[in-house]
Amino acid sequence: MSDVLLLVPEIVLVAAALGLLLVARRLERARAAATLVVLTAGAAMAAGFAWPSPEAGFGGILAGDGYARFFDVLFLATLATSTLLSIRHVDSDRVRPGEFYALLLLAATGMLLAASAMDLIVLYLSLELMTLCSYVLVGITREKKASIEGAVKYFLLGSFASAILLYGIALTYGITGATGFTSIASGATENTGNPLLLSGVVLVVLGLAFKIAAVPFHAWAPDAYQGASAPVAAFLASGSKAAGLAALVRVCMVGFAPEHGLWSNVLIALAAMSILLGSLVALSQTNMKRLLAYSSISHAGYALLGLIAGTPDGASATMMYSFVYAFMTLGAFGIVIALDRRGENLSDYHGLARTNPGAAALMFLFLLSLTGIPPTAGFAAKFAVILSVVGQGHVGLAVLAVLCSVISAFFYLRIAVYMYMTDPEGEAPGRFPSTVSAALLVAALVTIIGGVLPDTLAAWTVPP
Amino acid sequence: MTTYPVLTATTFLPLVGAVVILLTGDRLARWIALGTTLLTLAVSLPLYFGFDKTSGALQFVEAVPWIPSWNVVYGMGVDGISLPFIFLSVVLSILCVSVSWIAIETRVRDFYAALLLTETAMVGLFAATNLFLFYIFWELMIVPMFLLIGVWGGPSRVYASVKFLLFTLAGSVLMLVGLIVLLYAGGTLEFRALAGLRLSVSAQAWLFLAFLAAFAVKVPMFPVHTWLPDAHTEAPTAGSVILAGILLKMGAYGFLRISLPLFPDALEIFLAPMLALSVAAIVYGAYVTLAQTDVKRLIAYSSVSHMGFVTLGIFSLNQNGIEGAILQMVNHGILTGALFLAVGIIYERTHTREIAAYGGLFKAAPIYTTFLAFFCLAAIGFPGLNAFASEFLIVSGAFTRWFGLGIMAVWGVALGTTYIVWLYYRVALGEVNPGLRGMRLEINAREVATLLPLVVMAIVIGLYPESVLGFLRAPVAQLLEIVTTSPIELAGGM
Repeated sequence: MSDVLLLVPEIVLVAAALGLLLVARRLERARAAATLVVLTAGAAMAAGFAWPSPEAGFGGILAGDGYARFFDVLFLATLATSTLLSIRHVDSDRVRPGEFYALLLLAATGMLLAASAMDLIVLYLSLELMTLCSYVLVGITREKKASIEGAVKYFLLGSFASAILLYGIALTYGITGATGFTSIASGATENTGNPLLLSGVVLVVLGLAFKIAAVPFHAWAPDAYQGASAPVAAFLASGSKAAGLAALVRVCMVGFAPEHGLWSNVLIALAAMSILLGSLVALSQTNMKRLLAYSSISHAGYALLGLIAGTPDGASATMMYSFVYAFMTLGAFGIVIALDRRGENLSDYHGLARTNPGAAALMFLFLLSLTGIPPTAGFAAKFAVILSVVGQGHVGLAVLAVLCSVISAFFYLRIAVYMYMTDPEGEAPGRFPSTVSAALLVAALVTIIGGVLPDTLAAWTVPP
Repeated sequence: MTTYPVLTATTFLPLVGAVVILLTGDRLARWIALGTTLLTLAVSLPLYFGFDKTSGALQFVEAVPWIPSWNVVYGMGVDGISLPFIFLSVVLSILCVSVSWIAIETRVRDFYAALLLTETAMVGLFAATNLFLFYIFWELMIVPMFLLIGVWGGPSRVYASVKFLLFTLAGSVLMLVGLIVLLYAGGTLEFRALAGLRLSVSAQAWLFLAFLAAFAVKVPMFPVHTWLPDAHTEAPTAGSVILAGILLKMGAYGFLRISLPLFPDALEIFLAPMLALSVAAIVYGAYVTLAQTDVKRLIAYSSVSHMGFVTLGIFSLNQNGIEGAILQMVNHGILTGALFLAVGIIYERTHTREIAAYGGLFKAAPIYTTFLAFFCLAAIGFPGLNAFASEFLIVSGAFTRWFGLGIMAVWGVALGTTYIVWLYYRVALGEVNPGLRGMRLEINAREVATLLPLVVMAIVIGLYPESVLGFLRAPVAQLLEIVTTSPIELAGGM
């Protein structure tokens, strides 16, 4: 019975999703459904802390440790924030709110499960739950061609990646005879150097690299982000990426610990390519959502830097990075959403500091954080991952990472140039909905507190 | 002893002021900014009166654990090297508020908030006792400066601000990697603790290069100086004053605080190149200055030459050279700040920076021209005024290091006299330029009050250089002891 306690947050989410589906036909406006989702996220978060859950359950396939708890909070906060951001879009895009929010809740359930999974099969299923919901969410605005295009690309490439992941799982199971992470670890120790096991490890890592949109598995991200409505893109960039990282960190640190030498080399390559390509290609983007997509690709690379070390400190750094990134990207998307139709093109930001100083200041804060300039949370997170990279002696990789952050400064701060140093074009944006302002406030608070007092966050980053 | 944390108060009071300004709006912004900067000066006064000049130790130390997981402490403290810069930052900030009173008409609130934020960054940087805090303030300086240039600057302000940002950021990120390497090597980031760390020569050399990237851009040293003329020229007057007065000094201060004491053995490799680059900056900078036709650009390029003197003094590695370099930084802050203020004051009336558009100002604006003459005299190193003492010390330090360096430095001084005197000749003497007829060019009381403190400082330091040098003696001797106890015989000599 006590095992069920592990699943209370997930059960709450699923119950709310099913409830929404039951009344979906009657729901016309987004507000009621969104309120329910936010309350559900709050209830699930409270449930996670209400009683001490067991460290593991269901025969060891699910964990309830501090690591899972940390990501639970991250995903539920992301869910609530994205929901607050989405209300106006759901109404104006004439999406059925019942379906939209049920899918959002189920995707979040998949994320929560992925962070607690201690077994490759559970991990696979939870990630599939997340991505299947995401495919639909990207394509849910059926009248828009770009939305359909993004969804189809995302689906095709995602299926391909799932196949890779599954193939890796099969190979790993074939050699170690286990799907549980701890058994895999002991099986791997006995079979060190077995080429099939090595391919299994590499394939699992690459399959997960798709979920976090690391190069060369990034091609879906720009199209999916651009095609999806901005709140969905924000949810993907923050939640889905963090879920992929959560899975990757636990698989590598626990299951594949004996093969650290191998996967760390794979991660070095993935991280270096993601950082470099993400920053360079972002330079030429003129659409905000595409720009943020490429930025998310390079941030995936930065987040991976922490994991390369394979140490608990490094894993904590990656956890911190995914947390901080989730909120700063939610903030940046939040401004895009707040400006509504005016926020999607870079040229829309001309003179924003004149027409809406508050929005410009917040956007500037998020951009500084994305660039990694102190005293923002983005700097603290970047410092933590680079600290762990240098600790492993990869100074060259650290230099590459910081130089790419200068490149990224160019395109992030170009937006600041537009906002502050040019004259406004067109009419001023309207007032922001109060829900959007609330979400922006949360993101801004995390961005500032995480930068000024990084240790408040570090205390929660319990490595697996 | 005082009952409040002086350094923290001096650092963060302007930040508080900036927040208040952002909350209150345009109407009161000027007065709040003026009040904040004056109050900051008042709050900082115990630093100068309670300071023990005989000691090379850190004083007014505050240390609070900040980020235990990285072993980072919030550490504030000053020694004789950092104190003059804090004073200079605090004073120049007041003058910047004053000179912008009329000149800034758009988005006044944001302007003064950004200006006060730079004050926090400047004071904090010089008060930091560890590399982490130093880095935070270093980066914090970039953002408001970027806005000051880009929002309130001249015609090609956007180009200048982005160039400034990318140059400085590119330099400083390498410092970040160096910082992390040092954190692993030393287990701490406190300057004093790291100074005792003798890493291998090759490690020191790499770290020296990483920090050089940051400092050389900021100083700026030849050949990474190209952002400076654009930034200085396009910035609004207050921005130019902060840039020339303080921001350039951050790089040289970094050499003194970090490069010399932490990597003394690397100097064996880098001493000759650093001296060569310094001399190149002095002479090349001076020749380029001679060719300028824009007043602000001329003063900007003269900074390249003057900062060459500073790095020459620092890398002479003797008491005279380093004391002279620090004094020169203070003097350059006063005089170049004064010249930018003077140019800004006249620009407000004429709206041109072309030298050719001026002429005969002494007839049209005698009081203004007297100030200009004074600052020009001081800038060329007139005996009895402040720059004389510092240039003398640097040249003598350079002669001690290597005779040829001294010759080059003297050549630079001669060229400096030429371009300043020629500038004065073209602007102030002769017949009044027809284009200026009918303009009210004479300065008002507020502007006199802005320039007067700098005149007083120039005279006080000129007649009694000990007023600054007294602070420097003990810490510079201590610094040299660390550098010269290096096991390697330094190249050159007499």
